[in-house]
Amino acid sequence: MVESEANLTKTYDAIVIGSGAAGGMAAHVLTSHGLQVLLLEAGKKLPIERELRSMEWPYDNPYRGSLPPDQHSLTFNEYTIRNPPYGPGFEKAKHLKSYVGNTDYMKNIVVDERENPFTGTNYAWVRARCLGGKTNIWGRLALRLSDYDFKAKSRDGYGENWPISYSDIAPYYDKVDLYLGITGVKENLPYLPDSIFQRPTKLNCAEVTLKESLAKMGRVLTQYRAGVTTDGLKHNKYRSRCYGRGACERKGGCDIHAAFDSPTGLIYPAMDTGNLALRTNAVVSEITVDPKTGKASGVRFIDNQTMKDYAVRAKVVVLAASTLESARLLLLSKSRLHPNGLANSSGHVGHNFCEHIMGPGVTGRAKNLIGKPPTLDDGRPGGFYLTRFRNLADKHPKFIRGYGFEGGSGSTMFPHGTDTPGFGASFKEEVRKNQGAFISMGAFGEVLARYENYVDLDSVVKDKWGIPALRFHYKFGDNEHRMAEDMKETAQEMFEAAGFEIVHVRSRVLTEGWSIHELGTARMGSDPKTSVLNQFQQSHDVKNLFVVDGSAFVNASCQNPTWTIMSLCWRSCDYLADEFKKGNL
Amino acid sequence: MSTNDPIDLRQDRRQWLKTSATVLGATLLPLPAVAAERSQAETAPAAPEAKPAEAKSTARFLTPAQHTLVDELSETIIPADTHSGGAKAAKVADYIEQVLHESFDDSQKALWREGLRLVDLMSRHYSSKSFVDASQEERVAVLTVLSNNDHMTDLPEVRFFIEIKRLTVRGYYTSKMGIHDELEYKGNRILQEFVGCDDQGPASS
Repeated sequence: MVESEANLTKTYDAIVIGSGAAGGMAAHVLTSHGLQVLLLEAGKKLPIERELRSMEWPYDNPYRGSLPPDQHSLTFNEYTIRNPPYGPGFEKAKHLKSYVGNTDYMKNIVVDERENPFTGTNYAWVRARCLGGKTNIWGRLALRLSDYDFKAKSRDGYGENWPISYSDIAPYYDKVDLYLGITGVKENLPYLPDSIFQRPTKLNCAEVTLKESLAKMGRVLTQYRAGVTTDGLKHNKYRSRCYGRGACERKGGCDIHAAFDSPTGLIYPAMDTGNLALRTNAVVSEITVDPKTGKASGVRFIDNQTMKDYAVRAKVVVLAASTLESARLLLLSKSRLHPNGLANSSGHVGHNFCEHIMGPGVTGRAKNLIGKPPTLDDGRPGGFYLTRFRNLADKHPKFIRGYGFEGGSGSTMFPHGTDTPGFGASFKEEVRKNQGAFISMGAFGEVLARYENYVDLDSVVKDKWGIPALRFHYKFGDNEHRMAEDMKETAQEMFEAAGFEIVHVRSRVLTEGWSIHELGTARMGSDPKTSVLNQFQQSHDVKNLFVVDGSAFVNASCQNPTWTIMSLCWRSCDYLADEFKKGNL
Repeated sequence: MSTNDPIDLRQDRRQWLKTSATVLGATLLPLPAVAAERSQAETAPAAPEAKPAEAKSTARFLTPAQHTLVDELSETIIPADTHSGGAKAAKVADYIEQVLHESFDDSQKALWREGLRLVDLMSRHYSSKSFVDASQEERVAVLTVLSNNDHMTDLPEVRFFIEIKRLTVRGYYTSKMGIHDELEYKGNRILQEFVGCDDQGPASS
């Protein structure tokens, strides 16, 4: 791989801001069409294999895998009781991290909360400023959306339909499947279309029990559809096929890159085209505008380390900084021609902010597995996905939209059941006997996109680089809370029906943001008055500006968004390259 | 740690010992007078406050006596049995020493100092022996009182029990002993093929 230096005196065909799933995909597609692209990443390029150390045993780690004592990661209680910005009150911690940064393997991947403050309503905002962003640590569940999601308004009357249908994006889902690799099993579900799957993982015994019980209820449990290559990718020399290396239940990165991450999956191959330059440590503060044409002319950025200001020009600007950072950048890019921020004549930038609600779930024990010899349940990218069953054929009386469950079972390196009461010989034996019998799942449900859930800029608080912080005005609503109640009840019912002993039913809704699936702050639509982007994620207002990350989503659906972000981005960048060549941008 | 006032807690503990007596049976009673307990408290080996300069040079949080006490407490929580070694063999006390030594949490450190003192005091109260000198049954009896009353988190000795159990569990199940000998963990290896129920069904029954 040849890393090409950024030339700041050159006018690039396109600047891509952000190097996560969306930015990596934009870099890949645009360079493959021959455009000269500059990719900007706010963080540094980490020696990622040395961070992740997938096979390190806890006893070989100075902190047994925990966060070093001079660092602190925020807990649920702290997110609940304390208010943003979360910096104050943790003075003893040299670095303060979001809840995800709670291991020695994650600590350098997620940002320091004090350097990156935000204000307003409580929010567990997980940010990874480093090459590849959150793709370095994603949960890798890779699901498609369907017309149940794209045309949800037509089904229940709420919100807006997407300006695309499943048939528009399906070919791009196929491209993403084939280019990046995905494991799973075909189920022929209209509401959760199949991908082009590589070799599937296998369900273990408790999971099979649950699957068979659910089938009698007409519900579907399928192997975890993971954005992981299980057969390998002949066209990619930076990634290995999955060979069960490591304790995969320790979520948070795969150091052989069988699980997709943006650098090895997209950015390094894009560099090999010779068309991509990369500038890390580039904290973009503004998208600049040509005062005559009103079009985007490039960006200004601050070097993360030296704090020096730079400007760089391009014919097209592609924003892929993540749903919330992209909204922030649009709002920051105010000018005479764009007084409300760039691409914001509709006033919808920052609004219609949505995501997934999570927390409710259940843990049980498969009684027939108690006391059995230990089994090998680890080394797979995930356990199972229990697909949506609400508001498909019938209509739930208390809420609209749906939810699915992620779960798994079996032995793990650090055993389940250490919360067993007591101590001594009986405690030790309990933990040993039960370690392979636990099964657990938690729900992810659609949070409705509402105009009144939004972010804007704080007028006082600034980040380490002097850039105004984001302010949150965001709360779960009644539909979400009624759905969460149902999640808890159905979780328990399904485990009871499967004959599991119920160990714990979780009803607690986790802090807003916990799912790390924030979406919808610059939604697509065909009406420029009520949407920010057209169906190709192109700004209605500024023709040479595209926003290709999760901010373009019209609703959140209940499926994990990464695969859709990348498929949409591929489609939009094909369009972008075509328009670019025609001279239309 | 604003509730960490020894006088108030001693009164609470009398109340609590009455409750726990019904749990454990009458063998551990009668209750001593408050004054007697107080005099024991004064003679019990108090955890010396580590002087900052000392802490730097010796790099230890626990005194040798406290280290031995932690060793025995952790072994009582996760003992050796016919299946595998216990917390002592897994050097859990060394792990706890490291965690406490490096901790920036003064309230955690204070809880450990106070908790170790109080547990030893309880042992002297019940069996007239220090915890380290007490028999296996006597040690179990002390921790049973704490474990059976683990909802009484206003008491530092209860909070201490929860804390030492947490760190013992953490230290033990992240040790070689815990992972390989005790749980016979099969993962974290390179697999030619994923393993599922069909593969392990017959073998595991």
